[in-house]
Amino acid sequence: MNQTQAGPAEANDAEQAADLLVTVASTLNERLAVTARELARSQAMLREASEELMTAFRGAADRIVAAQREDVADHGGKNQQYGPVLDHLYRAVQHLQSHDLVNQLIDAQKLRVDKMREKLLEALSLASPPIAEGAQAGQWIERSRAMLDCIVAGIAQIDADGRLPRSDAKHAGSVDLF
Amino acid sequence: MKTILAVDDSATMREMVAFVLESAGYRVIEAEDGAQGLDRATASSVDLVITDQNMPNMDGLTLVRSLRELRDYKNVPILLLTTESSDTMKAQGRAAGATGWLVKPFDPATLLEVVQKVLR
Repeated sequence: MNQTQAGPAEANDAEQAADLLVTVASTLNERLAVTARELARSQAMLREASEELMTAFRGAADRIVAAQREDVADHGGKNQQYGPVLDHLYRAVQHLQSHDLVNQLIDAQKLRVDKMREKLLEALSLASPPIAEGAQAGQWIERSRAMLDCIVAGIAQIDADGRLPRSDAKHAGSVDLF
Repeated sequence: MKTILAVDDSATMREMVAFVLESAGYRVIEAEDGAQGLDRATASSVDLVITDQNMPNMDGLTLVRSLRELRDYKNVPILLLTTESSDTMKAQGRAAGATGWLVKPFDPATLLEVVQKVLR
């Protein structure tokens, strides 16, 4: 194979590789769009349930704290009858926290998905400008490289977000006093 | 009545902490991030600070460092209440001047025990 024949063949391979990358990026973007919708739906359901629970909890909590204060003001001491009620409310506190933490985790995952989708769309936009008929392999390779750089940057920025909540069931509730 | 400053960007978490502490007879003031926490701490006299770590505007460790620079807060106990549980983060907390580190979700009885202990 001489130089003049190898050029168009290489260019053809490079063009196919670039097309494949576009297909992969658009398919991934579509799948992530579905994931984003499902996450939003799950979060909406969880939020609605949490709000209902919080309203019920708030009613009970406000009432018992107010009753305790009145009792202390009237009798100068704590009434033992609040103990069992507080135990129930304390158990609710633990579960309501879990709802809140799951909500935060979903928020964080939504953010990750959105950031990745932004980068995928940016990568796809790089594939939009037409490349002239008979273009060199190098032009296609350059385009593919730019798209890949964009996707890799998307992956990197997902992990770079220090504000994502960590979930670690093993250490939940642990205490260290320094 | 001892006053406790609860700093967390989650309203639910602040409400949970406030309820548990108020039910045990403490007065609670709330702030939704480190910057507001610092403002509240300087505007009122606080006996204990309980703060989350990951918050917008100012995180928990920065709040601890900022409070430790204030004369009134050199010896006030400060607890981190966070989902973060790595040894590295805890070491940073200790170096910043935190009194203790609690991992969410917290057990109300344990929180009250710790609060009583550090306020003693």
